[in-house]
Amino acid sequence: MKEFVCHEEDLQPGQMMHATFGKHDIVVCRASDGHYYAFLDRCIHQGAPLSKGKLCGAPQPTDEVGDYDFQQEGDILRCPWHGREFDVKNNGCMLADERMKLRNFKVEVENGEVAVTK
Amino acid sequence: MATKTESRTGLIDTDIHERVMYEELLPYLEQPWRRYITDCHWIQEKHMPYTQPAVAGVDRADARVPDGRPAGTDLGFMQEQLLNPNGHEAGILTGALDPSPSSMHGWYEMATALASAYNDWQIDNWLDRDERLYGSVQIAAQDPAGAVREIERVGTHPKMVQVLLPLDDILWGDPYYHPIFEAAEKHNLMIGMHHNEPPVHYGKWPRYFIEWHTLIPVAHMNQVTNLIFNGVFEKFPNLKVMMIEGGFTYVPFLMRKMDQQYKDLRHEVPWVTKKPSETVKEHFCFTTQPLEEMTKKEFLQVIDQMGSEDIVSFSTDYPHWDYDSPTEALPPGLDDTFVRKMLSETARKFYPKLPQKEG
Ligand code: FES
Repeated sequence: MKEFVCHEEDLQPGQMMHATFGKHDIVVCRASDGHYYAFLDRCIHQGAPLSKGKLCGAPQPTDEVGDYDFQQEGDILRCPWHGREFDVKNNGCMLADERMKLRNFKVEVENGEVAVTK
Repeated sequence: MATKTESRTGLIDTDIHERVMYEELLPYLEQPWRRYITDCHWIQEKHMPYTQPAVAGVDRADARVPDGRPAGTDLGFMQEQLLNPNGHEAGILTGALDPSPSSMHGWYEMATALASAYNDWQIDNWLDRDERLYGSVQIAAQDPAGAVREIERVGTHPKMVQVLLPLDDILWGDPYYHPIFEAAEKHNLMIGMHHNEPPVHYGKWPRYFIEWHTLIPVAHMNQVTNLIFNGVFEKFPNLKVMMIEGGFTYVPFLMRKMDQQYKDLRHEVPWVTKKPSETVKEHFCFTTQPLEEMTKKEFLQVIDQMGSEDIVSFSTDYPHWDYDSPTEALPPGLDDTFVRKMLSETARKFYPKLPQKEG
C-alpha cells in the first residue's frame, strides 16, 4: 500500500504534521537534515496523539551533573502528555529506553510529494 | 476480562482540574478584596522552582483551549476532549490550586474571601452547567472558624461532595483543624486531599523536578499518618478522606509500618483505639493516578497487600501532563468486576452525594 500524504513543502526541517494513511492516523516529521519520517500518531505509552507534541532537541547524556547540552534539534519527538522522547532518525526509539519504539512507516519523496508505504 | 480498548462508559473520575483566571473571580469578590487584584495586581505566591516538566509545562500539550486560553479553563473544550469521549458518568472537580486559599502563608482574610469567590464561580460555571460535574468546597483552612462558615454556606449545595485540603506544609490532623472535619461530617461531605506544593525535601525543594515528583507520595504519607495518630477518625467516625494524586502503591508499606509502630507506641496516642491499617481500609480511598506501569500480576500484588480492593478509585488528573487515560493506564487483563469498582463503584460508595444506584 502506498499513499501520498503531503507535499514536500508542507513541512520545513524541524516541523511535523498529522496525516492519514489508510485507516491510520500518522505523524509525518521532517527532521533537521530535511528527510521525512512517519510514525503512527499514537504514543506507545498511553496513546496520546504525538502530532500534538513537539519536534525538538534533547540534552545529551553526560558525565557532568548540571551539564545541559541540547543537540538533535528537530530530531526528537516529545509526546504531548508525559513528555517521553523519541528519536525520529533512530526508528522512533525512546531515549530513556531504546527497546521501546514508535511504530514507523516507510517514507519516500516523489516529484515533490511525500509518500508513505507499508 | 477488560481489554485496553474497551469503552469506559460509566466512569467516575475522581480528579479533574478546572482552572480559573483571576479576572473571572472579580465579579464574585467583594471590596476591598477585588481592589487588591485590580489595583495592586495581587496574585498568590507560588514556591515550586520548576514548572517545566513536559512539553507544555504542567499541562497536557493538547489540552490548551484552541483559542489560546490555558488548559482547564473552558467547559466546552473539557467536554469535547475528556467527558464525552471517555464516557464520564461523573467527574469530581478538584481545582487548579491557583489560587489555593488554604496554601496561603498569611493574609487569611484574603484567603477566606478567595475561597468564597472560587466556590461561587465553580458552582455557576461548572456544576450548574454540566450535570456530570461535582465540586470540592474550597476553604481557607488556616482560619478554621472562617472555613466552617464557608462549609456551612456552600456545603449544602447538592453537587458539592467534599471539602478540599491541599498538601503543603500544614498537617491537617492537628486538633486545631478539627472543626473543619466536624462541619464536613455534618454536611455529608468527605475530605479530598490533593498536593499543591509540598516541600518534600526536609521542608525544602529537591534540586530537580523529577525528585520532587517521585517523592510526592511522601507528602501523602505524612497526612495519612498524621490524621490517624491525631485521632481524627475516632472523633469523626463518618468522615472519609480521598487521597488524590499520590497513587496507591505506597499504601501497603504504610499500613504495615503504622500497625507495627502502634503495637510499640500506643501509649503515646491512647486516643487511637483502632489498628491503623483497619482505619485506612475504613476511612481512606486512594486515587490511581499517576499510575506506575505495572503488569496485571504486579498490580494485583499491591492490591492484595492492601487487604482491600475497595479503596482504590480511578482518576485522570486532566488536563495535567501526567494525565492517565481511562482506557490505557490500567494493566490489561484485570477482572471486569474489579475494574468496574475502580472506575466507578468505589467512588460512588465513597461520596454519598453522588447519584447512588437503585437497590
Ligand atoms: S502517552 Fe506518550 S508519554 Fe505517555
